[in-house]
Amino acid sequence: MILRLKKKNRKNRPPRNELMPPEGVPLTLPIAGVGVRLGAQITDITITFMALVAIMILLAMLNITSPQTMIAIGALLFFLIRVPYYVLAELVWNGQTLGKRILKIKVVSHDGGPLTTHALVLRNMMKEAEVFLPGTLVLMLDASSPLASLGALVWILICLLIPVFDRYRRRLGDMMAGTHVIHLPVPVLLKDLASEPRMISLNRKEFVFLSHQLDHYGAFELQTLEGLLRAQNTQPTSDGGAQRNKTIAAIVEKIRKKIGYANPVPPPDRLRFLQAFYKAQREHLEQRQLFGDRRENKHYANNGEDA
Amino acid sequence: MKDQDLMRSARFRKERETDWRRLETLVLAAEQRGLQHMDFAEARDLASLYRQATTSLSIAREISLDKALLGYLEALTARAYLCVYAPQERLGGVFHRFFAQSAPQAMRRSWPFLVLGFLCMGLGALAGYLLYFESPDWYYVFLPTELAGGRGPDATYESLRAVIYDEDPNSSGLGAFATYLFSHNTRIAIFVFGLGVFACAPAIILTFYNGLMLGAFYALHVDRGLGPDIAGWLSIHGVTELSAICIACAGGLKLGTALLFPGDLSRVASLRRAGRDAVKLALVAALMLLVAAFLEGFGRQLVQDMYMRFIIGWGIGALWLIWFVFGGRVQR
Repeated sequence: MILRLKKKNRKNRPPRNELMPPEGVPLTLPIAGVGVRLGAQITDITITFMALVAIMILLAMLNITSPQTMIAIGALLFFLIRVPYYVLAELVWNGQTLGKRILKIKVVSHDGGPLTTHALVLRNMMKEAEVFLPGTLVLMLDASSPLASLGALVWILICLLIPVFDRYRRRLGDMMAGTHVIHLPVPVLLKDLASEPRMISLNRKEFVFLSHQLDHYGAFELQTLEGLLRAQNTQPTSDGGAQRNKTIAAIVEKIRKKIGYANPVPPPDRLRFLQAFYKAQREHLEQRQLFGDRRENKHYANNGEDA
Repeated sequence: MKDQDLMRSARFRKERETDWRRLETLVLAAEQRGLQHMDFAEARDLASLYRQATTSLSIAREISLDKALLGYLEALTARAYLCVYAPQERLGGVFHRFFAQSAPQAMRRSWPFLVLGFLCMGLGALAGYLLYFESPDWYYVFLPTELAGGRGPDATYESLRAVIYDEDPNSSGLGAFATYLFSHNTRIAIFVFGLGVFACAPAIILTFYNGLMLGAFYALHVDRGLGPDIAGWLSIHGVTELSAICIACAGGLKLGTALLFPGDLSRVASLRRAGRDAVKLALVAALMLLVAAFLEGFGRQLVQDMYMRFIIGWGIGALWLIWFVFGGRVQR
């Protein structure tokens, strides 16, 4: 019973890429994976380590301290550079450290609100406990205390595995602070295929589709066709051109057979046919959608019976 | 092509496209320059255009099947959302708020846990002190050899005194400061805080154990007639440092009790709520450890006089107390 309830919940929960801002319109922000976050982390460690090396060289040249204490001072300085770096960078750049900026990922608040200082401090302090503290223990591998080293290793492994199994790829610190990390989306507005002027065609008649001919496909097929038509604008390679013509011909034939379009389409008119079909199909589907008849794909008729 | 010829979704797009383009440039500007460096008009337009874009997005999801348009609007509104809801705080403001308000307030809110933390340490010290006088062998049980630094029950009065009033200037300064921070007590503080999550017990045990060591160590010196001297030696940094451990313990206890007794909340929610104060306690403890490190690294070698050590140590302790008690009080 409980299991069934859990399964039901699993189905009903919102898609994981969705974030609900205060405006109440869900936004799609793809979750950043473990790999890219590890990459950003390594970049950040490299940057802070470079700063450390620079300061250490300066200290060595000034000859302030004896070489014996250099390692201890280095460890301390690394700590003093690293901790403020993460918190301040994420505070100033709105959830991005330099590594995250380079890899175009960003911390967002899990509940869709603004990032708070508390959340940023907490998630970066937990990073100390999760990664750096056991990390230094492992680095200082000591044969005399194998138990401590092994413990640190297990601790690191657990901390690395938690994001792998979490639905939102959150670290322990992310969970406590209520944040997760997303890919920054890039807005690119392509031309609207439906408002493009029709291809000039002298003394050829327009393609006309009847309403029953447009009842075969759904939104998925329409958008696949859209992708295909957009790809036609790029320049084909030398032998890609023939291949492309073949594909177009096959698609035109398939569509003609499916919708029962009797007139043959001559080769030079094939693209024009597809464009006209795209427009008519989109107009038809959008109109059906306005009337509450949303057609996801060509199996839309069967789905209704199952439910 | 005339507007009437276009289908509904294409007309929808044509009417709003200029606004979207403007929002796109504003978003880019806000990301590069920061929202606070933008004109008033620009910032105002950004906010209102963002709200228009969210409306456009929800309409487009209903009426349009144009994948390019939907993808663009999704990405644009998401980018604009991240700009509009960016944290609007200056760094100076963050620091000021922490020191002037939130840290002392958090300390006052969690006074029962602080009392518990100091109680753990104090009882431990008392137990260690009494146990040493019962049998000095307890000293070897409590203190690991590397920490004692050769100061055991078999050490002479002179050798103990030499450590307390260290006249050798070579071993002082930055090196001692750095080695100190990574020494025993900082690690204890981190563990005491972090392990508190596991149902309080490890935090209490560790703090108590730390008290035991302190008590036994103190008892050894009292046994040799160096009681006030060691008290001075310890108080110059110990008042700050041991308080830091107790505060870290309080933070850990706070997390642990949130997990053990979540009340009406779920355990995760309760942990998250307790975390708000616990993090501030941890930050305060870290700050105190840093100050203690300075005192230990520089102060202890420079100030050799016993009374001076008492005054500095307890004076700084009093300053901490004043901050915690009187900081961030709201005028009524």
